[in-house]
Amino acid sequence: MHPLPYHRPTSLEAALELKASLPGARFIAGGTDVMVRLKGGAPRPSALISLRGIAELTRSEVAQSARLGAAASVADLLAIDALREGWPVLADAMNQMASPQIRSSATLGGNLCNAAPCADSAPALLVHGARVVLRGPQGERVLALEEFFAEPGVTRMGADELLMSIDVDPPEPGLQTTFLKKKRVAMDIAIASVAAGLVMNDGICTHVRFAAGSVAPVPMRLPATEAALCGHPPTDARIAEARRIAEEEVSPITDIRGGADYRRRIIGVYVERATRALAARFEGSE
Amino acid sequence: MEVRFTLNGREVSCSLVGSELLLDVLRGPLGHRGTKEGCGKGECGACTVQVDGHPFNACLLPAAEVEGRAVTTIEGLAPAPGELSPEQQAFVEAGGIQCGFCTPGMIMASKALLDADPDPADADIRHALVGNLCRCTGYAQIIESVRRAAALRGEGS
Ligand SMILES: Cc1cc2nc3c(=O)[nH]c(=O)nc-3n(C[C@H](O)[C@H](O)[C@H](O)COP(=O)(O)OP(=O)(O)OC[C@H]3O[C@@H](n4cnc5c(N)ncnc54)[C@H](O)[C@@H]3O)c2cc1C
Ligand code: FES
Ligand code: FES
Repeated sequence: MHPLPYHRPTSLEAALELKASLPGARFIAGGTDVMVRLKGGAPRPSALISLRGIAELTRSEVAQSARLGAAASVADLLAIDALREGWPVLADAMNQMASPQIRSSATLGGNLCNAAPCADSAPALLVHGARVVLRGPQGERVLALEEFFAEPGVTRMGADELLMSIDVDPPEPGLQTTFLKKKRVAMDIAIASVAAGLVMNDGICTHVRFAAGSVAPVPMRLPATEAALCGHPPTDARIAEARRIAEEEVSPITDIRGGADYRRRIIGVYVERATRALAARFEGSE
Repeated sequence: MEVRFTLNGREVSCSLVGSELLLDVLRGPLGHRGTKEGCGKGECGACTVQVDGHPFNACLLPAAEVEGRAVTTIEGLAPAPGELSPEQQAFVEAGGIQCGFCTPGMIMASKALLDADPDPADADIRHALVGNLCRCTGYAQIIESVRRAAALRGEGS
């Protein structure tokens, strides 16, 4: 591949200035999407601006809540004990991404900015109500992750902005979570995936979150499915209803990885499986 | 632009136009052809090298990113000319090599695993090698090679 001009700023200000002064330039973090696309013949940007030398973007703070640096590698994030303990569903999703080699390069910010319907970190982050912090010449702004994705490959980030961090609140007390990903071989992107979060009190579902990947133009929450369970005990009839609603709530396409009908079925099955598995974790604890 | 890094314990430098990939710099100007190019897009692992101990696909990594860091390739493993590292020895003994094209990447990914976890379970070995394809061995011998490498490394220490 013929080399492109490559800039490696070490401050946010320098990165934003470069972006403003180089029309047609593109940010690169881990490069696992950018490089593959360039090699595949995608239109060449005028230059690449690397975000990996910017300490403000590679640093993460994880305590009661988490501020994850957009340019931190997935491997570095997985090495943070407090992140694995506090938000296991995110760790599980990141641990299933690609291979160790890809996880050493790939960043959480790149996974979200790439805006693929199959971005593995997205459903887990949606379940936790994550926010993205954007920075541009006008300063900072914060968006709910749900607002961030516009369409496949497109975000609501401006051309002059970059993603600084992904912010996650402390999990709801008692929250149980799980991530289910359908793929064909070990290293494969999802045919369909579901992340789920549940809190139960006195046998009633008091907090319900479902998010799905690879079954709509962008990763999505499933609010109608959540509503079908929230405030009710997870009876067989309720779970069947949630499953039916989930299959209607998604809007998958047929592609090389799977058919639309098959994807709907998987989402239904995963909503049921996740609900039963999470509800079982509350048995005996009440 | 000039990039300086440690390659198998030796300081090296190389001039770059821009986004040249580490794989091309290693195999080209630096003359280290042990690291292979298979798919060129992160799927086969033939290009695996260690950077500061972590496994990376050199086919996707701009060389500018290894400035000041320590890169280890398959050429850096043997303790002396004519000798083999425990990982290399294990792949020979357990039949983890047939045509050999995947082997440098397999060994570098295995070494990265064993550096982090000296006594991995089979499931851990499989998880660590999902990014490495082999068209010849059928993988059973490769898993066995990694188990054997763990044992040899244990004896050596
Ligand atoms: C073999 C292989 C297997 C894969 N398997 C999976 C998988 O299982 N699951 C999965 O979800 N993904 C997978 N991917 C896709 C990819 O690895 C991930 O999406 C990864 O997280 C991208 O991160 P990156 O840092 O490499 O992004 P890059 O390639 O550096 O960037 C991606 C996009 O985001 C932009 N960008 C990056 N960071 C920022 C920022 N901070 N601000 C503004 N814009 C930014 C870039 O300009 C570019 O448009 C795979 C890729 C490969 C090559
Ligand atoms: S050549 Fe790098 S992963 Fe195949
Ligand atoms: S030995 Fe031939 S590809 Fe693995």
